[in-house]
Amino acid sequence: MTTRILYNLLQVAVVMTFAPLMAGVLAKLKEMVQSRRGPSVFQPYRDLWKLFHKDEVIPEESSWIFRVTPYIVFVTPIFVTLLIPVLTSYPLFFAFMGDMLGVGFVLALGGFFAALAAVDTANPYGPMGASRTRMVSFLAEPVFMIVFFTVSFVAGSTIPYIVQQSWVTPLANFFEPAHVLLLLAFFMLITAETGRIPVDNPSGHFELAMIDESKGLEYSGQGAALMKWGGWMKFFVLVCIYLNVLVTPWGLAGGQAAGEVFLAIPLVLLKILAFVLVLVVIESSLAKLRLFRISEFLGAAFVTAVAAMIAQLFAL
Amino acid sequence: MSQGFEPLLSALNALAGGLFLLSAFGMVATRQVLGCLRFFIAQSLLLAASAFLLGAAPLSAHLIAVGLLTIITKSWLLPWLLRRMVRQEVYTRREITQAVNIPSSLLIALGLVLGAYFLSAPWLPAGAAAGAGFVRINLPIGLAGLLLGAYTLAVRREALPQLLGLLAMENGAFFAGIAVAPGLSLIAELAVAFDVLVLAFVLGVLTRMIHERTGSTEVGRLAALKEEPFR
Amino acid sequence: MILIAILALPLLAAAVCGLSGSERWSPRVTLLAALANLLLAGEVALRAAGGETIVALPHWIAADGLSALIALLITAVGTSAALFSWGYMAHSTQKPRALRLYYVNFNLFLFAMLAVPLLAEPNLVWIAVELTTLFSVLLVSFADTHDALEAAWKYAVLTLSGAAIALFGFLLLFWAWQTAGGGPYSWATLRAAAGAMPPRLLQAAFLLILVGFGAKVGLVPLHTWLPDAHSQAPTPVCALLSGVETSAVLYVILRLLPLLGPASQGRAWALAFGLLSAGVASFLLLRVRDYKRLFAFSTVEQMGIVLAAAGLGSGAASYAALLQIVAHALGKSFCFYAAGSAALLSGTTEIAGVRGLLRSSPLGGIALLLGGLTIAGAPPLALFLSEFSILKAGLSGGQYLAVALLTLFIAVAFFGILRHILPMVFGKPLPQSVNRKLPRSVVLTLLLAALPLFVLGVYLPEQLSALLRVAAAALTHLAR
Repeated sequence: MTTRILYNLLQVAVVMTFAPLMAGVLAKLKEMVQSRRGPSVFQPYRDLWKLFHKDEVIPEESSWIFRVTPYIVFVTPIFVTLLIPVLTSYPLFFAFMGDMLGVGFVLALGGFFAALAAVDTANPYGPMGASRTRMVSFLAEPVFMIVFFTVSFVAGSTIPYIVQQSWVTPLANFFEPAHVLLLLAFFMLITAETGRIPVDNPSGHFELAMIDESKGLEYSGQGAALMKWGGWMKFFVLVCIYLNVLVTPWGLAGGQAAGEVFLAIPLVLLKILAFVLVLVVIESSLAKLRLFRISEFLGAAFVTAVAAMIAQLFAL
Repeated sequence: MSQGFEPLLSALNALAGGLFLLSAFGMVATRQVLGCLRFFIAQSLLLAASAFLLGAAPLSAHLIAVGLLTIITKSWLLPWLLRRMVRQEVYTRREITQAVNIPSSLLIALGLVLGAYFLSAPWLPAGAAAGAGFVRINLPIGLAGLLLGAYTLAVRREALPQLLGLLAMENGAFFAGIAVAPGLSLIAELAVAFDVLVLAFVLGVLTRMIHERTGSTEVGRLAALKEEPFR
Repeated sequence: MILIAILALPLLAAAVCGLSGSERWSPRVTLLAALANLLLAGEVALRAAGGETIVALPHWIAADGLSALIALLITAVGTSAALFSWGYMAHSTQKPRALRLYYVNFNLFLFAMLAVPLLAEPNLVWIAVELTTLFSVLLVSFADTHDALEAAWKYAVLTLSGAAIALFGFLLLFWAWQTAGGGPYSWATLRAAAGAMPPRLLQAAFLLILVGFGAKVGLVPLHTWLPDAHSQAPTPVCALLSGVETSAVLYVILRLLPLLGPASQGRAWALAFGLLSAGVASFLLLRVRDYKRLFAFSTVEQMGIVLAAAGLGSGAASYAALLQIVAHALGKSFCFYAAGSAALLSGTTEIAGVRGLLRSSPLGGIALLLGGLTIAGAPPLALFLSEFSILKAGLSGGQYLAVALLTLFIAVAFFGILRHILPMVFGKPLPQSVNRKLPRSVVLTLLLAALPLFVLGVYLPEQLSALLRVAAAALTHLAR
């Protein structure tokens, strides 16, 4: 009992600690692909340190929503971490609280408040970014639903711990068309939800072209630190779900022993590194889509997800 | 072949089928002509992959020959022929407008796939006859490939995507064919391979003539021939 | 052996036309090969009329009565088209290279069409049908004008996509036949095994092939390419496309009809598609501006009538349907020769551009009038007899609704065709009309091609009648 609670908290600690590292590695690798040197992989930590030590400026016109939002954005990924398999392949203490749909809703809550806060400031770029993120989320929503419907058809459940096993027993299931198509659809979903290329350029500095970044423009000091950290953690958590639940359950701790659980940390990080490498290749070879092409991109994701569902429903 | 490999082959074949369908979607949705050609090549390779997998289950030299033939003609000779026949600038062209916008186009295409599954359901063999599992995967996907090819043909306005839609229809028919009619005579297979090349050659010549005459390969704009409207 | 010679001759002629240095030989070689083929096909037809099946390669190349009939028609129209080309094509292009390519394609096209009835393996027949399109596309685009290229593109894309649908049907057919036992695959073994095949698959295959090849035959709703292609191609090619290519593809559909048992709705589908095509085309006829398009629409109508007649189902109806195919092939090719002459004389294919042809050129005027009357079905010409027999067969079979509709459509088409043709023939000549002399080979073609129209209207030779009876027997379902 207590070990399970402890492991659960360990998961949270891992996510909190390594989410900035993942962002740093991604940025560094991207710079290296473009044959530049780039900042150190620990730069995100320094940024956080710096921001936490700065004074915060809050717009006069803004309401309580603006002040609360950084905490919500920071807490929701942590909450999700309690529900999903990050290190272990068996449910931990708090996992009973929600299934995959719950995960989706909790993450959506963070996005919802971030959009509200962006509208709350009188900055003209904020509402623009907010409305764009809403558009992307609108289009991503049906894909998300179809993916999880298909997953629940396959596993007979929406609990991530049951889902992850059903793809690999027997091993031939791994190559089921439904599985491969779902992987593709969910990958496209992650790029849309976390504002990566080709949907959005996370390293862009041009306010008019921003989608995701412009929501946090007005934050400074501690608020900005929490928003950034929360965003990295959301990305980390989504990648964890993708890798640990949908792609492979390998590398996770199967037993209760502390050694096994601690060994899982480098293994999971290794998987994430592989994912980041793939992401770097994709991001460096594609250009950002024009805003109105995003609907086509997510339309393609939707079609892929539905094709997965059709393949699953009829192939049996 | 031992029994243990059977489910794996079947799953891999289903995967080839799923990706085959996805490449057909890609042909509906890509704007660039070159992208369309690449999806077609991918589709032909997946057709060949499915032929190999089917040929491996009960070992059949015939199906493997069909797979090789497909690779040689459809994914190697045919693109080479098209690239030689039609000028390079055609490939970099983008279609700005299609008859239907792309998201709705994709939804219609999805409807076609569902339709193909329902349409082919009564043809599927019941029970566990030899090869029935393969038929159950390949027949509906083949029919869907046929319909998606026809749909590509209907919404595209450029000459080459229309030609590729035509070839995709044949790919769809053969995707079903390798499962339902594995005993097709090799003479027929060779003749079909020849026929595909003649098709590409003739339509390539025609495209070039159209390009020279009208200065564009947008065949969707050719609409001069019609009847007098009723007064 | 004789069948292989029939297939080899056009290939040989194509090779000679393509490889010889001088273009002067091309029309002669083509005509010679076509004439020799006509004689060979006549010999095959005579033997088949006696009930014999001529086999060159068992299960691959063979000809029964039905095949022999279609092959005979193809060679007959092929010969007249070759003769017509000689004079006509020299007028339509100055480029020797284009002319040579024309003759190469012409012969290849004849080869592909002849392969359709003479091949016995259904999958190869599919390829032959596909080749008929591929070899004729560049003939349709011969004029290299905006319109001709548009027509050729539509022709290629619609008929080839139809062929892909039919391919799916052929693969299902093969599957059905394999589940019934397998063995050597040919029309004959297929027909013998018809009862043992799963009816659901058979019906699906039939419908797919009907729709797919229906596009090539010109059945409504996939007929839209036909008036374009059949009017833009050079006239001798129009005669081949309209006169025999459509019939050759329809032959494949007819081959499938006997496979479907009495329980299936195959014949009903054929009847429905046939009536729809005949009806739509007969009304579309009324509003054409171009007289080659007029004849093209009439082809859609005639094919609809043949399919509907085959769908009526009785032996008498099948016989009448085949007679209609014969009469249509000869009549429609003649119509296009007449139209081509009119175009040579007047320099236009607009209906409004030709007036009083009878006065400016008596031969051209009489030919056009005769063509119009034939294809409209006026007595005592060939098509009158066949249409009359179809209606009679329908009445004796008790299918009154179908007969009533067919009569209506034939009457509308009769009115539509003559409404356009009569002012062109009679009326007052337009002042600016050019007066050219018709080339000698064109005159000769018109005279020779007119002959059978009169003969078949009043007298059916015993051998032809026997051939039709043998062929009609191939259209009935074999009871097990």
